[in-house]
Amino acid sequence: METFPPRIHAYGLPSVAANPTPRPLPTADERPDVRSPLRFLLWFLGRQWKILVLSALSSVLWFGSSAITPWMFGRAVDTGIGQRDLPAALGWAGWMLLAVSIGVFFGVFGHTIVVAGWVVSIYRTVGLISRRALSMGHVLPRRTPTGEVLSVAGGDADTFGATQEVLTRAIGAVSAFIFVTVLVLGESPKLGLVVLVAAPLLVGAAAPFLRPLQAARTKERTRSSELTGMATDIVAGLRILRGIGGEKTFGDNYVRQSQHVRRAGVEAGAWQSAVDALATLLGGLLLVLLTWLGVREVLAGALSVGQLISFFGYAVYLVWPVYTMYEFVQKWVQGLVAAKKTVVVLGQSAPWKAGTDTVELPRDAVIKDEQSTFLAQPGQLTVVVSSLPDDSAALADRIGRYLTGSEDPVSHEIDENLKGRAAKRARAEKAAELAALAQADEERANRPWGVTYDGIDVSRFDLAEFRRRVLVSDTSAMIFAGTLQQLVDPLGRATREQAEEALRVASAEDVYDLVPGGWQGRIDERGRGLSGGQRQRLVLARALLADPEVLVMVEPTSAVDAHTEARIATRLAEARRGRTTIITTVSPLVLHVADEVVFMVDGVCVERGTHHDLMQHSPAYRSVVERGIDDDPAAIEHPLRDHALLPTPSGAVQDHS
Amino acid sequence: MTATDNLVIEGLAVTTLVDSAETWLDHTGDDTRVDPSLDTDHRGAAVERLTAWRARHRMRRQLAEAVLARQRNPERGLPVASNERVFAFLRTLVASRRRTIIALITFSLLAAVAGLIVPRILGGVVDRVTGGDPTLASSLNGICLAAAGVVLVQGVLTYLTRLITTVFGQDLLSSAREEVVRTVLRLPLSRVETAGTGDLVTRVTRDVSAMASAAQWALPQFVTTVGLVGLTLVALFLNSPLLTIPTLLGMALLFFTVRTYLKHALAGYIAEGDSYSTINSTLTESVEGARTAEALGLQRQRARQTDLDVEVSAQTERYTMSLRNLMFLTMDYAFQGPLILVVVLGAVGYTQGWVTLGQVTVAALYLQQLIGPMDVLVQTLDRAQVGMASTTRLLGIAEVPQDRTPSGEEPRDSHLVGRDLRFAYREGHDVLHGVDLDLVPGERLAIVGPSGSGKSTLGRLLAGINGPRTGEVTVGGASLMGLPLDRLRTEVALVTQEHHVFVGTIRDNIVLARETTATEDEVREALAAVDALEWVERMPLGITTKVGSGNTRLTPAQAQQVALARLVIADPHTLVLDEATSLIDPQTARHLEGSMSSLLTGRTVVAIAHRLHTAHDADRIAVVIDGNIAELGSHDELMALDGEYAKLWRAWTS
Repeated sequence: METFPPRIHAYGLPSVAANPTPRPLPTADERPDVRSPLRFLLWFLGRQWKILVLSALSSVLWFGSSAITPWMFGRAVDTGIGQRDLPAALGWAGWMLLAVSIGVFFGVFGHTIVVAGWVVSIYRTVGLISRRALSMGHVLPRRTPTGEVLSVAGGDADTFGATQEVLTRAIGAVSAFIFVTVLVLGESPKLGLVVLVAAPLLVGAAAPFLRPLQAARTKERTRSSELTGMATDIVAGLRILRGIGGEKTFGDNYVRQSQHVRRAGVEAGAWQSAVDALATLLGGLLLVLLTWLGVREVLAGALSVGQLISFFGYAVYLVWPVYTMYEFVQKWVQGLVAAKKTVVVLGQSAPWKAGTDTVELPRDAVIKDEQSTFLAQPGQLTVVVSSLPDDSAALADRIGRYLTGSEDPVSHEIDENLKGRAAKRARAEKAAELAALAQADEERANRPWGVTYDGIDVSRFDLAEFRRRVLVSDTSAMIFAGTLQQLVDPLGRATREQAEEALRVASAEDVYDLVPGGWQGRIDERGRGLSGGQRQRLVLARALLADPEVLVMVEPTSAVDAHTEARIATRLAEARRGRTTIITTVSPLVLHVADEVVFMVDGVCVERGTHHDLMQHSPAYRSVVERGIDDDPAAIEHPLRDHALLPTPSGAVQDHS
Repeated sequence: MTATDNLVIEGLAVTTLVDSAETWLDHTGDDTRVDPSLDTDHRGAAVERLTAWRARHRMRRQLAEAVLARQRNPERGLPVASNERVFAFLRTLVASRRRTIIALITFSLLAAVAGLIVPRILGGVVDRVTGGDPTLASSLNGICLAAAGVVLVQGVLTYLTRLITTVFGQDLLSSAREEVVRTVLRLPLSRVETAGTGDLVTRVTRDVSAMASAAQWALPQFVTTVGLVGLTLVALFLNSPLLTIPTLLGMALLFFTVRTYLKHALAGYIAEGDSYSTINSTLTESVEGARTAEALGLQRQRARQTDLDVEVSAQTERYTMSLRNLMFLTMDYAFQGPLILVVVLGAVGYTQGWVTLGQVTVAALYLQQLIGPMDVLVQTLDRAQVGMASTTRLLGIAEVPQDRTPSGEEPRDSHLVGRDLRFAYREGHDVLHGVDLDLVPGERLAIVGPSGSGKSTLGRLLAGINGPRTGEVTVGGASLMGLPLDRLRTEVALVTQEHHVFVGTIRDNIVLARETTATEDEVREALAAVDALEWVERMPLGITTKVGSGNTRLTPAQAQQVALARLVIADPHTLVLDEATSLIDPQTARHLEGSMSSLLTGRTVVAIAHRLHTAHDADRIAVVIDGNIAELGSHDELMALDGEYAKLWRAWTS
């Protein structure tokens, strides 16, 4: 039987067993069936069929053992207590004890299996989503909002667990229902029929209330998640609220929404109360009806007192399997909805075709970009100065073969108010939009790229090999949580001396001192608690330590003060001597150390030379570098051009230590 | 050697990377996180396996308790309140809702009573059947109709009880969460500026929802089920004292089982929840940092990281699963066992004539009725415990001490002066060593210096965010720390790089400092001053357009303009701009120069400068090195001085 955690091997990323384990690791990719939500759900359940079978079996036995208790109690009354036959009563008590014990055993066993099945579902989903996202790299966030990817792992994973749990319980419930049917019809066909008809009616009677209940619950959930969003919003902007003001406005907004949620909660609660009260009412009425019918049977001599008492037990008991069936239908539908969202993420793939006729990336190549006429000589430090930072960032992406574009990712969330056909149409539109985006990526990825290394177009290199040798460190570079050592040397390939040198070159020794525990000191997720400049210097140290043949860096020192920047520039040039390095910046302190400076206007390289030459001969260049801002005709002309392209400078966000 | 090489600043301590050799690990890949002996091994004799399982269970307990201890005493986060505080808080909430509570208890008891009458009636019928009562056939219809009537009343009472419960629970919950947010909005400025917001986000999301589940469900359920269970016991006793004994035994067994369970469950569930949030944050990093992982070839490392998180999580799941299994082992006996004992006692009692068959029937029916509420009670305690733990964390927010005591002093003018400023983040480690600074109203002062020199700290003291250890910052003779926060905001503001756009209208996003007084025209003027009026008016609803997450998206430049307009409305006479975190992000700033300069005109500006042209444009420049102002003067004066600044400037412009 597969126990947890499951070992996931998918999308080319193998499973890592942390501990020596008797279980063999999978050696081949598992391939989720993403052709349709139903197929996916069936594939998913099929992956853990052994768990399903075992838990269905234990649920049958557990239900069975409790189904027989009312019957035994009736027999005990008739043949034992009623006859004043103590040994017979004790005998029945013994049988009941056995039934309870069997129930306990299968209850515990079943619970163990059910937990295993549930968490295996969660862990499998997490493993698959994580591998899908990683294997697609920068492409996935372009297509699907990261929030939706994460909600699959966060919420839908749990739904799959619930779906498989209720599936096995439903199997137990059906068998218990059949078992009880046989028992009661054997005892008294008339009362048996009443019980069998009444139980589904009891559950079904709540049906008219369930639709408004569901609607109210959905409303409550939506409003409540908006409320959570508001709280997060307040906390995220708390520096502003406490620094500048606005506590009242946003505090009041929160209170207003909180009251909305309260009202929706009360509404849902009112429907729920009706459902509960109805269950009490109908259950009680059934009991009375059984007494009325049963006593008449007893008086007519067709039924014993013990049998009548058993029927009381069945009447109460049968509600349970019927309710389980009902729950199954609901959860199965939810499972399909979750599968739909999961298939959207898992069904995508990276646009790169695995080329069979790849060419090896030449060493010390001259790098050329057709669009901007940019050119970088091998082994040199080339600095790109652009009047618009977006242009140089786009150039860096082209050199490193990253897809860029201003389209927003396609969200699959549709308006809550859309129902039926309109909802279906909205969903189809989203799917078409996503497909179009994927196709555009595919098309872009598989035609000649427009950047050449020694005259060979980038699309002809093996992408993995290319990434290993050409590193682009952009402004959105993520700092992953972990130890300082894991951060600067994530692949564990460097020596201590190299790491120390990288910290020195990036002038990041102060971060080392700041974090207690030296190399094993913990850095929080996204480098929370470090200043923008500190984060930027760590990213720089990491890029330097990776020591790629070609290193492209976008504004690597934008959040660093002039003193430190001057130091970094000198050391950086020294450290990268003889290796191709491309930096985009407008800081003269970096430009000083460049072998060649390329000046870009409106996305096209217009001038090149040393910083000194350009400063003397190009007034346009001089104005961009010295002032950065003033006298920049391009910036004044299109002050708000293409902002969607602006990478969020992660290094510049808050958290000052 | 280039000119910049001479720029190694004296005063900047040469760092040696203390303990580098000791803390560097040669095999980082061996970080397993889960003790290998915790991995299940299905071999050996039953006794050996049981012993091994107990050892693992104990280890898992220690791990869970370590997580709980960590959560209760956060290293860097906000404080956690005591349980007494939570009870006191609950008491005040409940005390103000006395009438609801009384209604709730009354109706729930009435519903319980109604529920107990029906089995009694049925038991009576059974007795008359066995007694061969000849009148039964004729009175049966009447009895059953009466019973049906009681059932009807019970249904109505159940509805009312549940409804009041819901109203009460929702009311309690909304009051509690609103109080939490009010507390968050009162957090001292220095705390907000220094501590990260991660801990706070967890509290207002995860802890509020754990509290919600307790308040909405557990608390009212507890009130109603306790009443029901108590009344059922009374009814059982009235039916037959002898047949009550099995139930009491069952409840005693349940009590000890549940007590053991609850003792360990909290740590178990906290650790479990914690492991899932670790999974989630690793995954979030992987998804959001997918490009970085791709660029550096970290795909396998990131997948491995998630696998390791899952291993840890699986251990916490195994622990809570075992806890529940141990409870189930005895719980089912506690629930079902009494019925068996009723058979035995019933047989003896009926033989001896102590009980009737009807009493046995009633006892069996009551027992069956009791299982549901008892089960609910156990779950309620479980959830209440988790909710309680979350509430201690929520109330802990209120325990952050306020950092400013209004002195009642009023500034005479807008003259900002700092005298003998010293400040330490850690005791005994001053980062400023007695700085004196006298700002000329209306001047533009640039502060430059290497990282770690204390220039950002100086900026925060001048903005009144932190109080100095010695000395004071005064404006017009009044100490900044003695000004109430809303007064301080009109004097001096720290300008930070907040891309943050709040969920609300554009107007909401701008009026912040004068949220109750700013007029629509003033908002428009502020927007016009930062060149933003044009695009705002192009929006469908103008300044009432909803923006922020989930609404109309603003570009980074538009978001920055909104931030600038906020400051125009706040209208402080002095601005402190920290370039590392300020609006002058080189990517966007070039588009915003016009907006920025209109904000700065006519104000005193302290710019903590990274870019030298900012310094060059300033009236005066202060070079801060190692916690002291080393050079102070205009650009020309400092060039003439030929010190640090001059060296840097020459490197910049040559």
